[in-house]
This record gives sequence, structure tokens and C-alpha cells, in this order.
Amino acid sequence: MGFINLKELAELGEQVALGQPVPPAEPSRTAPDSGRPRDSGVPIALRGLGKAYGARTVLSSIDLDVAAGEFVAIVGRSGCGKSTLLRLLAGLEAPSQGSIALDGQALRDTHDELRLMFQDARLLPWKSVADNVALGLPGSARERREAALAALADVGLADRADEWPARLSGGQRQRVALARALVHKPRLLLLDEPLGALDALTRIEMHALIERLWREQGFTALLVTHDVAEAIALADRVLLIEDGSTALDLRIALERPRDRTSAGFTALEDRVLRRVLRHPPLEEAHAPAAAAAPFIQWRWAA
Amino acid sequence: MAHSNDTSRTGWQGRIGPWLVPAAILAGWQIAAQTGWLSTRILPAPSAVLAALWELASSGELLTHLQASFARAAIGFAIGGGIGFFFGLINGCWRVAENLFDTTLQMVRNVPHLALIPLVILWFGIDEGGKLFLVALGVFFPVYLNTFHGIRSVDAALVEMGRSYGLSGWALFRHVILPGALPNILVGVRYSLGFMWLTLIVAETIAASSGIGYMAMNAREFLQTDVVVLAILLYAVLGKLADVAARLLERRLLRWNNAYAGA
Repeated sequence: MGFINLKELAELGEQVALGQPVPPAEPSRTAPDSGRPRDSGVPIALRGLGKAYGARTVLSSIDLDVAAGEFVAIVGRSGCGKSTLLRLLAGLEAPSQGSIALDGQALRDTHDELRLMFQDARLLPWKSVADNVALGLPGSARERREAALAALADVGLADRADEWPARLSGGQRQRVALARALVHKPRLLLLDEPLGALDALTRIEMHALIERLWREQGFTALLVTHDVAEAIALADRVLLIEDGSTALDLRIALERPRDRTSAGFTALEDRVLRRVLRHPPLEEAHAPAAAAAPFIQWRWAA
Repeated sequence: MAHSNDTSRTGWQGRIGPWLVPAAILAGWQIAAQTGWLSTRILPAPSAVLAALWELASSGELLTHLQASFARAAIGFAIGGGIGFFFGLINGCWRVAENLFDTTLQMVRNVPHLALIPLVILWFGIDEGGKLFLVALGVFFPVYLNTFHGIRSVDAALVEMGRSYGLSGWALFRHVILPGALPNILVGVRYSLGFMWLTLIVAETIAASSGIGYMAMNAREFLQTDVVVLAILLYAVLGKLADVAARLLERRLLRWNNAYAGA
């Protein structure tokens, strides 16, 4: 009797496993109707998007469609324009040409639907961790605090809610920044190399965390990274940007959670890396936008 | 930091050591005055200064003068600091305001405010107005310059973050810009407290009918050197108190900052 029960349980377990949200093995499974709770993601459409600073063209005529709930990674050499693309999407800079539409609406009207995670955590040092997460939330003080604590619990930092950001490690700060982005329930999460400054172990933890929250909350995610392995570990699609335009658009059909040591993973990583390296490195003149920092310093004073 | 380490290492000797020299000077001064070697017209004995303190305090005269000086300092600081803070804010936040006002303010800054005293006496006589005007003017520039600089040096990355997280206008100012500028603003406040007492001393010794400075000038006419020395020491104590208050304010408002935490 007990034996049969065990067997039944085992079968049941297998069925549950099959019925569980399965990561996209092919493009069509990333669509909202794939059975996953993807209705909260927003589709993105870029048409002829371009950005130039004076005579220097950073992006030229980018056409891109991202399905709702899709996880897209953008890779490329330093200075290729991938961060600029993200800043255009975030509305931090205005495109020189072309258009951006979220869910068919112009970007300007949909600002509240997206949140950006920066390279550095950009926590306000004068606010406690919980107050940082609650920044810009509507509602009463108590509601905001509860929402912030829930978001902090999601990233495993509920017990640090009342500390100053200065007391946290780099990885913890980025987790707080992630909680701060997700507490707004964005339909699009933009990630601008948020893990670039973290050590390898912390990064792998962060990958698992981001992947879990993405699957739970179903937002569309756009990750800019220079780490090809990170792109393949997380994304449904990897885009390579070269000379300001898309040079490669690769679907990643590996099962989630992805095993970085599997043959399929390493083959894909190898393929993308080779493709990236085929292009000659950019000269210094193409330095990233951060080089303009002294000017940005003053820009916000209208 | 090194100082506190020293005291912990050497115990009571370390604690007493720094006070030995001042105590020796005081004792030598007392002896010199008592033996007549040091004329009381030049310097009264420390005991005489203490006696003067006791006498003036018990008659209530000291309190009246202290109140008058303190009120002038506080009102002048509030007016000058308030206006300086206001111009620092609007010039820091709006290019138009900076363009309109900053050059003018920088030109006025080059006029030493104490040079205006003859003019101020002509305008206000020896009324309160003149002294408040001078204190306010002395306090204005440190607060203005540091507020302006503080707002301009707020981390642009944090402002960008605030904007992209939906903050604008008052909310952006309250949560990001003002706290970011606060360390600089408080530096300005500390500087201006120094200017406040300095200006007040000059203003009160030149034209006043009450206050510590008036007390000192009055005593000079009657050769009461003990009261003069007492007035000087009172200014020192008041200056020290203002500095301590500013430090406490910094520690309270900037407790998030590692440089001030547990200092």
C-alpha cells in the first residue's frame, strides 16, 4: 500500500514538474499566452531609432520588437551604444530620430511603467534602506513602508531595512536597488550593467535572484551587459550591437535554470564571443557617455 | 582621533597634561598681579576678573547685557542667514536666477562689511537697526556661497535617479537636492557664526547702549580692566557655544554620513 502511494506521489511530482512554468525553449513560448503570468509585461517597438551627439552618431536606425514579458540581453563592446539605447528607453535622453513605443504608446506617456537599474546602485545615502526603496511610492507612510519591506523581503534584505546604505556591501546595495525598482511593479525593467562591479559569486546569486523575480512578476526585461555568459544565462534573446546598429539577434532556447557547464551553454557562449571578437575594438574616440560626466554635473540646473 | 588615543593610553596623566600649561599661566598671572609686578591697569588678576563676574552677575547687569547681545546675534543671523539661504537656493536651482543675481552679489561681497560702519551710523544712528544690518550682512555671504555651491555639487547621478523614479519639483528638492547640499550648507552656517560674533563685537564697541561690547567700552572709560577682560572672555565663551551648537546640528543632520558618524 505504502509502495503504491509512493509511486503515485512520484508520478504526481513528475506531472507537477511538467505543468510548472517552463522556460521558453523557443520564441513562441515567451508570448503572454504561454500559460505563464506574463500579462504584466509590456511589448516594446523601436522604429528607426537613432542618437547622435553633435557629429558623432552613437546609434543609427535601430528596429527592434520585444514581446511582452521577454528577457532580452544587449551585449557589445564598450562604447558601442548599448547603454545609450537603454537611456533612450528610460527617457533619460531624447532620440535624435525614430520612435520608441511601449504597448503601442509613445514613451513619454508610459514613464511610470518602466524602471531603470543603474550601473551603480545610486541609493540616497541620507535615507535608510527602507526609505530608499519607498522613494517615489504613492500612498500613506505606512503603506509605503509595508510595500518597501515586502520588496526587501523579496531580495532577502528585510532585516537590513533600517540601516544606512553605507553599511551594506556592493551586492547588497544592488539588491536594494533591485527592490527599489520592483516595488513600483514596473512592466518594463531596464538593467544597465547592474552587476558589472560585483564579484563573480555575488553575480551568480544576483542572476538567480533576477531570474526568479522576473518569472514571478512577468515584467519585460532589458539587460545591457558586457558579460556574454551573463547574457546567455538570463536572456530569451541576445542582441549584439556594433557600430550603433544590431549585428546579431540570437534566440536562446536553453532550459531554465540554465546550467553554465552544459555543452549547449558553452557552445552558445563561444559563438557569441567569437562574433563579438570578430569586430575590431573601438578606438578611444568612441569612449562611453560617462566621459561627458563633468557636463552632466551641471545639466540639471535648468 | 590621535588625541583620544593618547589619553586612553596614558590614563589620568594624559588627561591632566594638556591643562598644566594653562594652569601655570593663570597661576603666574595671579602671582604677578598680586605682587604688583603687573599693573592692574594693564591686566587685572584672574581673581579680580572672577570677582567682577560675580558682582555683575549678582546685580543682574550681566544678564541684561548678555540678553541684548544674544538677541542681536540671533536676529541678525536669522535675517542674513535666511536671505543668504534663499538666494543660494534660487541661484543654485535656476540658471535664470543665477544669471540675474550672482554677479551683483559677488561684487557686493568684495566690500568688507565693516567698512560700511560710518555709513551705517549715519543711516541708523546707534539704534538696533544698524547692528542687525551689519550682523546680517556679515552672515549673509558664507551662507549664500556654501548653499549655492552645495546645491550645484549635488551628485548629478542621484538627481537623475530621482527623476527617473518619478520625483520632480518639491519632492525632488526635499528628498535629493536639499539633503545632498546639506553638508555644504552647514559648513556655511559654521563660518557665518564666526562672522556673526566678530561683527557684533565691532558693532557693539562702536555704537551701543547695551550689550557685552557696550559693557566693555563703558568699563574702559572707568579703567575697569577686570570688566574689560571679562567681556573678552564672554565673547570667547559665546563663540564657543555657537560652534558647539553647529557641531551638534551637523551630527544630528548628517548622521548618515560616515565622516560624522560617532565623531
